[in-house]
Amino acid sequence: MLTLRSLLRPTRVVDAHCDIPCGIYDPAQARIEAESCYNIIKKYNDSDDEVFRTRCIQVKEERAELAKHHIDVLWSDYFKPEHLEKYPDLHQTFWQAAKQVSQVKHTMNLDDAKKLLDLIDQIDEMWRATGGPEKTRVQAAAV
Amino acid sequence: MRTERGRLRPLFFVLGLATGLAVVAARWTDAAAVRGASMAPTLLPGERLLVERWTFRRRSPRAGDVVLARDPRQPSRELIKRVASVVDGRVSLRGDGMATTDSRTFGTVPFSDIEWRVALRYWPVRRIGPIPAAPPLAYEPQGGEPACTAFGDLVVGE
Repeated sequence: MLTLRSLLRPTRVVDAHCDIPCGIYDPAQARIEAESCYNIIKKYNDSDDEVFRTRCIQVKEERAELAKHHIDVLWSDYFKPEHLEKYPDLHQTFWQAAKQVSQVKHTMNLDDAKKLLDLIDQIDEMWRATGGPEKTRVQAAAV
Repeated sequence: MRTERGRLRPLFFVLGLATGLAVVAARWTDAAAVRGASMAPTLLPGERLLVERWTFRRRSPRAGDVVLARDPRQPSRELIKRVASVVDGRVSLRGDGMATTDSRTFGTVPFSDIEWRVALRYWPVRRIGPIPAAPPLAYEPQGGEPACTAFGDLVVGE
């Protein structure tokens, strides 16, 4: 049945395209913060200075928040529907990574921080496969 | 019998006309949805357009036309941009927006990559109508793709 709605439904999607959202974010940003969390947990477990340990908790909280921010931005601004077609578990991976950041906040368990690094590396793999490095990274000046 | 058919004649006429229009519309027009903000504020993400491929059978694209063009870097992608200029049979494309990837990045495109012209916007209802013939000189940025708000304080023309 030919309805008004079917007449109005677009049959093609046209791109008012801009490279910017896919050319400025790098999973390395999240990884650096997650590495900090990992190392803070190590230092925390090696110390018996209460003041130091309290500071570790606080700094880990901050770094984890930054890791989460970078993960969120990659998820919503870099990755696009066509990437999802290629990587059907993209949403699942990001969701797990975001949840894993919370887990890193909750505990002083090195395994949790390691798991977060692994998830960020999975994101990094998808990012590389979609041409992220070519679009994003700037060559260092030759020395 | 004859009078019966005579009375139905206007109905046949209207039906025939409607069928004819539908055939022409299906052959020469299409409906497109805009993705991305590089044509903002002229065209915003999610807006719907009627496009037609009659005009470029009769004449070449010229400056000011808003057209669909195959992306030279990714042929499966169909871009929507404005024709900035035509030089030596090749078309230079520009987005109306602040943040746009266009011929300044990927170079000019041949006429053969441009088939469709944007005729008018039909959705949303409050923005129904023809597309402005030229990009706006000054405007308030309209948001769009989140990263592009990095340029939120810039206003063209100031």
